[in-house]
Amino acid sequence: MTKRFAAILFAVLLFAASNVLAQDWIRTGTGLGVEKIRLAAPDFKLATSDAQTQSLASTFNTTLWNDLQFAGIFDMVSKSFYPLSIPGAPQDVHLGDWSVPPPNANMLAFGNVGVQGGSINVQGWLYDTKNAQSPQVLGKQYREEASNANARLIAHRFADEIIFRLGGGIAGIAETKIYYVSNRSGSKEIWQMDYDGANPKQLTHTGSIALSPHVSPDGSRVAFSGVTKDGWQIQMYSLELGRLVSFPRFGGDNYSPAWSSDGQNLAFSSSRTGNTEIYSVSAAGGTPRRLTESKAPDTSPIWNPKTNAQIAWVSGRTGLPQIYTMASDGTNAVRVTDQGYAVSPSWSPNGQFLAFAWVRHYGPGEPGASDIYVMDIASKQWVQLTHDGGRNDFPSWSPDGRHIVFQSSRGGHVQIYSMLADGTEVRLLTAGGENTQPNWSFK
Amino acid sequence: MAADVDIFPTEGNLRVPLIGSVALHSVLFALALFGNLIPSGRGESWGGTTGGGGAMSATLVSSIPLPTPPVETQNVLANESKGLAQSQPKETSREEPKAIPIPERETKHKGPRESVQKKPPPKEVAKVEDNKIPFGQGGPVSGPYGSFTSGSTKGGLSFTGGTGDFGSRFGWYVDGVRRKVSENWLKYEVDPRIDAARRVYIYFEVTRSGQPVNIRVEQSSGIPSLDQSAMRALQRIDTFGPLPPEYSGNYVAVEFWFDYRR
Repeated sequence: MTKRFAAILFAVLLFAASNVLAQDWIRTGTGLGVEKIRLAAPDFKLATSDAQTQSLASTFNTTLWNDLQFAGIFDMVSKSFYPLSIPGAPQDVHLGDWSVPPPNANMLAFGNVGVQGGSINVQGWLYDTKNAQSPQVLGKQYREEASNANARLIAHRFADEIIFRLGGGIAGIAETKIYYVSNRSGSKEIWQMDYDGANPKQLTHTGSIALSPHVSPDGSRVAFSGVTKDGWQIQMYSLELGRLVSFPRFGGDNYSPAWSSDGQNLAFSSSRTGNTEIYSVSAAGGTPRRLTESKAPDTSPIWNPKTNAQIAWVSGRTGLPQIYTMASDGTNAVRVTDQGYAVSPSWSPNGQFLAFAWVRHYGPGEPGASDIYVMDIASKQWVQLTHDGGRNDFPSWSPDGRHIVFQSSRGGHVQIYSMLADGTEVRLLTAGGENTQPNWSFK
Repeated sequence: MAADVDIFPTEGNLRVPLIGSVALHSVLFALALFGNLIPSGRGESWGGTTGGGGAMSATLVSSIPLPTPPVETQNVLANESKGLAQSQPKETSREEPKAIPIPERETKHKGPRESVQKKPPPKEVAKVEDNKIPFGQGGPVSGPYGSFTSGSTKGGLSFTGGTGDFGSRFGWYVDGVRRKVSENWLKYEVDPRIDAARRVYIYFEVTRSGQPVNIRVEQSSGIPSLDQSAMRALQRIDTFGPLPPEYSGNYVAVEFWFDYRR
C-alpha cells in the first residue's frame, strides 16, 4: 500500500514538474515572462466635471485596465489595495504609499482626463515606485476629438506605450485588428474587429461564401477565398479603398491564401492540376509555382514570418492530416506531428512555435477532442492550451507573440476567443451568428 | 714394582670434570626452563595463538617515514619531471614576488549584495591566495539592481554608460534587462554532470535601439557548456527595447555574471 502510494505520489510530482517546465519554456519563448511586474493603475482623475467627461473617462479607464491586464506581462494590483488619495498629476504622488504593502506595486500608471472645446485631453504618467530619485518612466499627453471611440483609442495608445517600455521592446497589440468570417448578415462574409472584440465591421458583401481571410503585413489588403463563377478563387479586398480589387484567377479550386511577412508572396492551395497542392505566387500576380507533389491533398500553408524561408502546411500523405514543414522552394519536407488529426497551423512571429488544432486520439472509440496546441519546432516539445471546451480550431498568433486567437464551440455556437499563449486569460470576443476562422493582423 | 698399580688417575682428578658437568647441565636446564622468554625471529609469534591479542592493530600515517638519503640523487630515471631529456630535477615553484592584488576585483568584492552571499567555511578561505577572490565572494559588481535568483542559480549585472548613473536613473530599464536575460538563460543547456562552477562573466553592449551587440565571454567559468548557455541567453534576445530617450549616450555596456549550482 505504501509502495503504491509512493508510486502515485511520484507520478503526480513528475507530472507537476513537467508542467512547470512546459510553462517555463513557453513563457520564455513567447515573451510572457516567468516574473510579472506589479502594476497599479488607478482610475484617471477628472480634470473637468461635466457629464461627458465622466462618460469618456469611464470608457478610458475600463479600456486601459483591460489592455494592461490582457498584456500578459503585468500582475495588476487590485484596486481595493490602493491608498485613499489617488494622484491625478505628479505633484499628488506619494510613492511611499504605493511601494509598500498592501499595494506593493513596482509601477504606477496615473493621470487625468478632461474635455475642453470639444476635445478630450488626457495626461498620463508611468512612475517607478521603487526609485524615489527619478521615478518617471513615461509622461504622455493626448488630444483628440471628444468621442467614445477616441477615448478607447487614447487608452490603447497609452497602454501600448507602457507595454513597449516595460515589455522588453515588444510593441503592444491594443491597436491591432482581427479579421474573421461571420454569417450574422445572412451569408459568410469577411469581418474585422478590434483585438478586444469591439467595433465589429463587415468588410465584404459578396452574397455567397467568403472564407479564410488573411491580412497583408502592411494592413492594406485582405486576401480570402470566395466562390465565384470560376469556382473557388483567391480574392483581394482593399482596406484602403473599401472594395474588392482584382487578383489573377487560376484554374481549379483555390483556397487558404497566406501572406509572407515581407508582403512579396502569397502561398495557397490549388487543385489546378487535379490534385490539391501548395503553390506560391507573387503578391502582384504572375504564374504560381508548385511546391508540393503528392497524391494526397496538401492544404493550409503558412509562412515562417521570421525568415519567410519555410512554409508549414497540412498534408494527408500518410493517412490522416498531419502538419509538415518545408523550405519555401518546396524542398526538405519534414513531418511535425506524429499522430491523430492535426490541422490549421499558425507560425509564431518569432518563428519558434507552431500553433495548431490537434485531435491527438482520432478514430472509432477514441473520445478525442480538437484542442489548440503549441509546439516548439526545434525540440518538438508541445503543450496543450485548451482543455475540455468543445471543438477548438483555427488558431492565429498576435503580432507580439504573446496571444492566440481561435474559434471554439465551447459555448454552443462557434465563436471567436483569445487567450495568452500559455492558455490562460481566455476571453470571448464575438457574439451573434457564427464567427469563425480568425486571423490576427501583422501590426 | 708395586702390586697395586693404580690404573686410574688419582682420585682428586675426577672432581673438576664432575663440577663442570653439573654446571653445564644446570645451564642447560635453565635454558630449557626460561628459553621462551628470549625473543626469537621464528616460531608461532606471527599470528599465533600465543600472542598478546586476537587481532593486529594498525595506525594510519600520512607518509612512510623513510630515511632521507644524505645526498640528492641525480639519476634521470628517478627524476619527477615528465621531460624525457631533462637531467636536472625541476625546481619547486616559488611565490611570485611581484604579484599584487587586482584592485578591480577588490571593489566588486565590496558590492552591496555581499551580505546576501554565503560565506565559505574557514578552511576554504585559508587556501585562498591574496590576489584572488574566492568563489562565491565576488558579489555583484555594482548597482541596486544587480542580481537575480532562479532556483539555486544566481546572476547579476552592472551597467556602465553616460555619467555612470544609468542604473540609478533608469532602474526600470536595468530591471527589464535583468528579467529578460534571466528568463532566457536555460539551465538545462549546462552539462548535467556539473554540480557547481566558477562564476562566468559575459560582456555585451546595448545599442540605442535596444539590441545586444558585441556579446563575449569576459571571464570563463572553465566549463564550456556553462559559458555557452550564458552566451546563448544573450543571443536569444532580439531587443531589450530602445534605451530611454532621456539617456544621451549611444550605448550602454553591461557586464552580466552567472553563478551555477545544480
